[in-house]
Amino acid sequence: MFKKVPLLRALKHDRWVRPYLHHYRKTLILAISLGIITFICGGGLMFCAGFLISKSATHPENILLVYVPIVLTRAFGIARPAFRYVERLVSHNWVLKMTSRLRQKLYDSLEEDATIFNSKYQLGDILGLLSDDVHHIQNFYLRTIFPMLVAWGLFAIIVIALGILSPLMGLWMLLVFALMIIAIPLWSVLVNGARQEYEKQVKDDLYVNLTDNVLGVGDWVLAGRGKEYLQLHDENELQVLATEKAMHRFERLRDFLVQMLVLLMAVSLLFWGAARFGGQPGGPANWIAAFVLAVFPLIDAFAPLPAAAQETNVYTKSLVRLNGLNAGQSVPTTNVPQLAGPYEIRVKDLHYTYPHTKRPVLRGIDLTIKPGEKLAILGKSGAGKSTLAALLRGDRVPTSGAVTLNGVATSQFGDHIAGYIGVINQQPYLFNTTVANNIRLGNEEASDDQVWDVLKRVGLAEMVKALPHGIETKVDEAGLRFSGGERHRLALARILLKDTPIVLLDEPTVGLDPITEQAVIDTILNQLAGKNLIWITHHLQGIERFDQVVFIEDGQLEMHGKPAELWANNARYRELKKADQGL
Amino acid sequence: MIDRELFQLAGAKSISKRLAGLDVLQAFLIIGQALALSAVITRLWAGHTLNYLMLLAFAACFTGRQLLAWLSNRWLDDYAGKTAQSLRKRLLKKLFVMVPALVQKQGTGSMITMVVDGISEVREYVKLTFSKVITMMIVPVLALIAAAFLDWKSALILLIMYPLIVLFMIILGHAAQARAEKQFGNFQKLSNNFIDSLRGIDTLKYLGLSKRYSKSIFRSSELFRGRTMRVLKVAMLSTFALDFFTTLSIAVIAVYLGFGLINGTINLFPALAVLILAPEYFLPIRNFAGDFHATLNGKNAFKKIHQLITNPAEKTVDLSLHPWTAEDKLTVDNLQFRYPNGTTIKPFSLAIQGYQKVGIIGMSGAGKTTLINLLSGFLTPTGGTVTVQGQAAPTLDIPEWKQQLLYIPQNPYVFTATLRDNIAFYTPDVSDDAVRHAIHVVGLDDLLADLPEGLDTVIGNGKRVLSGGQAQRIALARAFLDKKRRVMIFDEPTAHLDIETEMDLKKRMLPLMEHRLVFFATHRLHWMKQMDYILVMNHGELVEQGTFDKLQEKKGYFARLMNEMRGEKENV
Repeated sequence: MFKKVPLLRALKHDRWVRPYLHHYRKTLILAISLGIITFICGGGLMFCAGFLISKSATHPENILLVYVPIVLTRAFGIARPAFRYVERLVSHNWVLKMTSRLRQKLYDSLEEDATIFNSKYQLGDILGLLSDDVHHIQNFYLRTIFPMLVAWGLFAIIVIALGILSPLMGLWMLLVFALMIIAIPLWSVLVNGARQEYEKQVKDDLYVNLTDNVLGVGDWVLAGRGKEYLQLHDENELQVLATEKAMHRFERLRDFLVQMLVLLMAVSLLFWGAARFGGQPGGPANWIAAFVLAVFPLIDAFAPLPAAAQETNVYTKSLVRLNGLNAGQSVPTTNVPQLAGPYEIRVKDLHYTYPHTKRPVLRGIDLTIKPGEKLAILGKSGAGKSTLAALLRGDRVPTSGAVTLNGVATSQFGDHIAGYIGVINQQPYLFNTTVANNIRLGNEEASDDQVWDVLKRVGLAEMVKALPHGIETKVDEAGLRFSGGERHRLALARILLKDTPIVLLDEPTVGLDPITEQAVIDTILNQLAGKNLIWITHHLQGIERFDQVVFIEDGQLEMHGKPAELWANNARYRELKKADQGL
Repeated sequence: MIDRELFQLAGAKSISKRLAGLDVLQAFLIIGQALALSAVITRLWAGHTLNYLMLLAFAACFTGRQLLAWLSNRWLDDYAGKTAQSLRKRLLKKLFVMVPALVQKQGTGSMITMVVDGISEVREYVKLTFSKVITMMIVPVLALIAAAFLDWKSALILLIMYPLIVLFMIILGHAAQARAEKQFGNFQKLSNNFIDSLRGIDTLKYLGLSKRYSKSIFRSSELFRGRTMRVLKVAMLSTFALDFFTTLSIAVIAVYLGFGLINGTINLFPALAVLILAPEYFLPIRNFAGDFHATLNGKNAFKKIHQLITNPAEKTVDLSLHPWTAEDKLTVDNLQFRYPNGTTIKPFSLAIQGYQKVGIIGMSGAGKTTLINLLSGFLTPTGGTVTVQGQAAPTLDIPEWKQQLLYIPQNPYVFTATLRDNIAFYTPDVSDDAVRHAIHVVGLDDLLADLPEGLDTVIGNGKRVLSGGQAQRIALARAFLDKKRRVMIFDEPTAHLDIETEMDLKKRMLPLMEHRLVFFATHRLHWMKQMDYILVMNHGELVEQGTFDKLQEKKGYFARLMNEMRGEKENV
């Protein structure tokens, strides 16, 4: 039956929860002990209070006879909130420690595939999702694992303590408590957990569906079909509602049953008390009130367990998703080749087919990029331009053929390739920090003067000077937004600081208007003069300044030559060039 | 602390009354339970045998109380569910039928979060607020009265403790809040920072920094932990105060009752009953405090949704228009627009007649898209008048105008639906043959051949992502099928496409523009020759208008722009 609990299945091969439980076990044990003590104090308070007034009611001659219960009552009364306070601090601290580790682990897992991340995961939204998953695991610790361990500890103590007093009663309580903290939670997970999972599934679908249609809301409205969609959404929502209703019904029934178990405990304690201490007024009978009253505060430790158990199904998904990521243990690159300039890139009979697909994307590409040469790669979208770029940088390994930098395969460099090849891609990413920090990513040692120098070279010095805090301005501060052209210039500034001998540009000017585009191209070409330049582009603005132009079509080189040659000899090139200029 | 608007929701009064009724009953059962249990124990204490009648009374009160809780939860689940449903319906209606501009204003993500998560939070909020607040107002009062009958001095202690608890919680709550708000800013920062690092992870990798950054993530997270713990130390004090006063008052009452019993001023039965009642007296406020933070999100969501729903819709103008013909006229007189951030479109006028192709050209940020949105009625001008088919109006936000529009943006939206549904979106009733014909006309044959289930294959974001060119072709196919709509509006349809795809699309677009009024915004030069009339935008101003030849002759901004855009034409 336990095998049916999704969470337990997910935990079997888990790398995200269990290692940390082990790693921080000391704090965990401390937190759990504090949790148990808190409840013992709560029960102890009522126990002593019950005993105190029963004993007092026997009119003891000396107040000293009730001195111990008085002191204990007060002590428990003060200790309970104090322990609870400390316990909550300790457990939160513990969870936050865990979160730091989880964040790092998530980052490390993603880092491995960072450059091919987009093609692998498609949506940037998955990042938000993963970051939420970390949050879910945090909740999983705080709301499920932790209370459960506390309850089990308390359960053991109660049963053993009662067992010593009276083995039969101990056994009976073992049974009743077990119903409460094992059977009912398990029942909850199996019945309602499945419902909750289904509800989450339908809700996720609804979410996706709604996103899809809100993104296309313009079309719904223009087509005059808005009402139609509303109806459709209502029908989908009905499923969720029905499930929710069933869940709520179950929860009400379950909570009622838990309370009935509490009643059973209280009544059985009364019977037990009557049998064991009854008929002996003045002495042992004082204990009856103590035992019965202590039950109620202790229940607080057990009652939330079924709901907590049910929630685990929601966390399971996060757990599975995180465990589905790479292990994040990178193989250190051995024997990193040390190269010295001049640099030459050779592509020889390059073929590439994506893993798990059949259609080859590249079929026999041959290219040589001599030191200081500028190459433009053109082609329709989907022709294999970006794949070629990834192969050039060594992010992907050729299916056959070779890409070499001074005779060494680029895929052998690992992260060290960043020292040779700089990249500016379609949407250069600006981190949410200062302009200076963003530029210093190219060279963390760079002085302010150096930063200003590269800003001048990319033509942004004036603009940055006008910002409220100059280079120390945050990129998103006070509505400040960099336009497309400016972003590319900032990315270029990074590359200039990095000063790699080869620069790869992947459609860096897409969507810019021709004037802005030409200006960006001019800046890039002027500032990167003397470097190897590989420029992937989708139209021919500024193409004359390149040494070689290649067209990729169907994974092969369709045209190859100098721009002037192509203009003179190639009708297709002329046609495209003219079209681009609106002639 | 509690929204007044919440109690103005439909059915709020009725449910409050019913819940209050249940709470009164429940309070009596709580008292009965305490008295019965106390009686049972007292008799056992005195050496008598178990009193089954009293035991049964205790069990009955206990069970009855739980049954009432069950019932009240059921009512609340129903009520909260219904309320959430009606809010969601109203919100969606606003979204889909009345104001799509809302989406633009609020952002897609936040709208969806509001519809799905926000509504769930509101539901919890409604449920918790109604149950906890009403219980808190009724049960402690009745419990206190019962305690006063049993032993008025203990009741006095209970009475004094209550305001103390509230007072300390408010004081400590305020102290914590100031810190927490600061810390929440920090949290936001950290969480953004973390996502920021994840989003830029490829950039870090390209720069060879990604491995080292891992440590920095851990460090900033640990730094955050330190700060959070400092806030929690204060924030948790308010729970501590609540706990402390509750347990302390129970301890004090126990000791006080103990002395009373020794002195013989009170008997065991009432003393025990007071002791059992004391935790029940504090329970409602503890429940309320425990859930208080959980409801904060719901409170905010409720506020936002309420605002959106009650926000009046932009005014549309109901003119009766007939499908655009070659004789119809559209004149615009001094139309202007100002964005809330201050960007403006300066007053402009123009007159268009019949099936013309109107090009709109300018650099990025010159105002082309705003102009397009004004002409399509997606934005309401802040001044000026338009005259369509001889009828004047302050805006083109006219339902019957929109019904004639075919709008093709830079990235036409492809729904996650079958190829057929996507293409026939504007004309759901067309035959498969017509759809196939449209596919052929716009050049999507290759895509269709590639799809395993032909027209029934689901495409779109979730399934098979189409390229920019393919999405444009889908939009064109929609336009091709919809013969009734005679006004076409293009907003940079080819800016992001490669030149060959663009040329191919152009060949297929031009025939569709025949016998239609077309507005075509672009910064790609080659389109201008095919336009009958050109509007030239610069810095939010309509600087020139006229035919291609006239504008060339004029050698004004348009001629300059064309030359500049060609870049190094002279070098060729």
